[in-house]
Amino acid sequence: MIAGGLANVAMVLLVAPLCEGVLRKVTARLQSRRGPPLSQPYFDLLKLLGKEDIESGESPALQRFVARLSLAAALTLACLVPMGFPAPMNGAGDVILLIYLLTLCGISTLLGGLAAGSTYSLLGIGREMMTMIALEPLFAIALLIGAIHARSFRLDAVLNGSVYAVPGIPWSGLILLVIMVLSFQAFVQRMPFDISGAETEIMEGPLVEYSGPKLALFKYAQMARLVIHSGLFVALFAPWGSGLAFPLGWLLFWAKVLALVLLVTAVAATHARYRIDQAIRYFAGLLAAAFAALALAGYGY
Amino acid sequence: MSMISKFKEAIIGLKAGCVTLHYPAQPRPVAENFRGRPIFDAQKCIGCAGCANNCPAREILVLDVCQEIRILKYLGRRCTYCGRCADVCPEKAITMSHEFETATNKIGDLHQRLDLFMSTCQRCGRCFKESSPLEQLKLKGYRFDDLDHERWIFRSRAYLEAEPVVDDIKIELD
Amino acid sequence: MLKNLCQKMFGRSLWVYHANSGGCNGCDIEVLNVLTPYYDVERFGIKLVGSPRHADVMLCQGPALRATARALRYAYEAMPAPKLVFAIGGCACGGGIWHDTYAVLGPVETVIPVNFYIPGCPPRPEAIIYGVAVAVGLVDKKVAPVEFKQLPLPIPRYHPADLTGRDEMVVYEKAEKI
Repeated sequence: MIAGGLANVAMVLLVAPLCEGVLRKVTARLQSRRGPPLSQPYFDLLKLLGKEDIESGESPALQRFVARLSLAAALTLACLVPMGFPAPMNGAGDVILLIYLLTLCGISTLLGGLAAGSTYSLLGIGREMMTMIALEPLFAIALLIGAIHARSFRLDAVLNGSVYAVPGIPWSGLILLVIMVLSFQAFVQRMPFDISGAETEIMEGPLVEYSGPKLALFKYAQMARLVIHSGLFVALFAPWGSGLAFPLGWLLFWAKVLALVLLVTAVAATHARYRIDQAIRYFAGLLAAAFAALALAGYGY
Repeated sequence: MSMISKFKEAIIGLKAGCVTLHYPAQPRPVAENFRGRPIFDAQKCIGCAGCANNCPAREILVLDVCQEIRILKYLGRRCTYCGRCADVCPEKAITMSHEFETATNKIGDLHQRLDLFMSTCQRCGRCFKESSPLEQLKLKGYRFDDLDHERWIFRSRAYLEAEPVVDDIKIELD
Repeated sequence: MLKNLCQKMFGRSLWVYHANSGGCNGCDIEVLNVLTPYYDVERFGIKLVGSPRHADVMLCQGPALRATARALRYAYEAMPAPKLVFAIGGCACGGGIWHDTYAVLGPVETVIPVNFYIPGCPPRPEAIIYGVAVAVGLVDKKVAPVEFKQLPLPIPRYHPADLTGRDEMVVYEKAEKI
């Protein structure tokens, strides 16, 4: 079980910069230019680890803690997600823990901005807070619908297609699938919804006071969140074929994750960033639909 | 949200292919009239200092060591490649070449320095006497730019004080 | 060993912070051109970042003005080591055409130490890419100082007082060398 968890973590650590590299390269090709080489994020992370660490900001101790917390929360989440074989730690936690860890990833960004204390970072985390309030319930509702249909909170029961597990047409599952596809960009913080964290072009965002190794940890956490959220989406909504024997099921899982990353890239390369009020209005509509789906699930549809 | 326009956008980007130039790998030709770095041809230069008088950035400095020797120095730092020196030169000794790859880590790499011999008469040893006093002034030498500190001196040596002409301004940094 | 690897990766992924301290924006436009698909500089791993704390290289252009000298100094000190400074354009290299006006303190090197100079007004985007390639080590630099002397010094100098007549020839008695 521990070995399985470590295998998952190692897999995420290796693949996350590669997915980011694919994202940058495909974005470049869509913009008719030669992009960076596929292994560019590995070079970026290594270079950041070699730079000097300037301790600035309001409370450097909290900054040090939060830089490690963000990567740690993302990797703990990796142990709970089934990546081609059943989740290694699924006896140690259930759906409530999953929702808690998802929220913790977002909160670590908030803490990071607060620890820096500069005007730009406070502005960035204000927007991140507004986005999180509108956004985290969507994933939670998806998991809850799966739990309602499977009549249990255990991870192995929920994360294998339980949203569709009703006799007849799974209305609540399909509504949630559409909602999650429409809002997935915001979970992984890409265009058109990278309002808070990666807003380095407009205002520097919560990461403005971090330099060197701490910035490397934050960037690694962002890349890992792309892979882990895609993995959760695939496990929850597209689990077909995960029961196959070891090499095929595992490869199929990673192929599905890559397809989802390509979809994210295609949307990110062609859209412009939304303003915060436009984004909140968008999510409010999706939240209303999600609550309606939850009510339908309660009635057994 | 108009999804169709986003698809069309993506297809336009992909159809254009890859438009990036392979620049440092392949050289890149320039247009006919391109004005790059000026090259001073010392064989043709007669030392009239017309280029130095006309440079808008005061990049060409002239120092008259004595009646017969004039040192002309082109500092490439502030040059805007306007080409006025090439236009004014009576002997066409300055050409605006097609070089633009002039990046360097020492700014002294762009200097061009010419030590010129102003011809004197071989019988009497004096320079040729010009018709008007203005022309005579040019021959006797009146430019004493400071080559070591690369500064253009705005006055003639007759009135030059020991202190530098322009004060250095101190920056207050706290 | 990890340190060596990190230092070798420095040339492969340079993050750039663009600081315009009072220029006319001509060089700004050329730097932005370099980031467009035609001259695409992201294939070398160079990315534009919005904060000097994230950056490795500061692209300075425009001379150091009295009003912006302090801000430029703070931005330089906010960058974590190892760092490079590129001075782009005639104004940043030597003060520009306005080197002797009332608002200009001088070139950027009066305020911060500069590692690479890219002269031009404005430099072509190819010239900027060439400068970056020289800094990273991909190509060699192509300029060197030129010095020319028409006659070897010291030259003999002839004074009329030294001439003496002898038979029908004029002979120079004393030659004073400079």
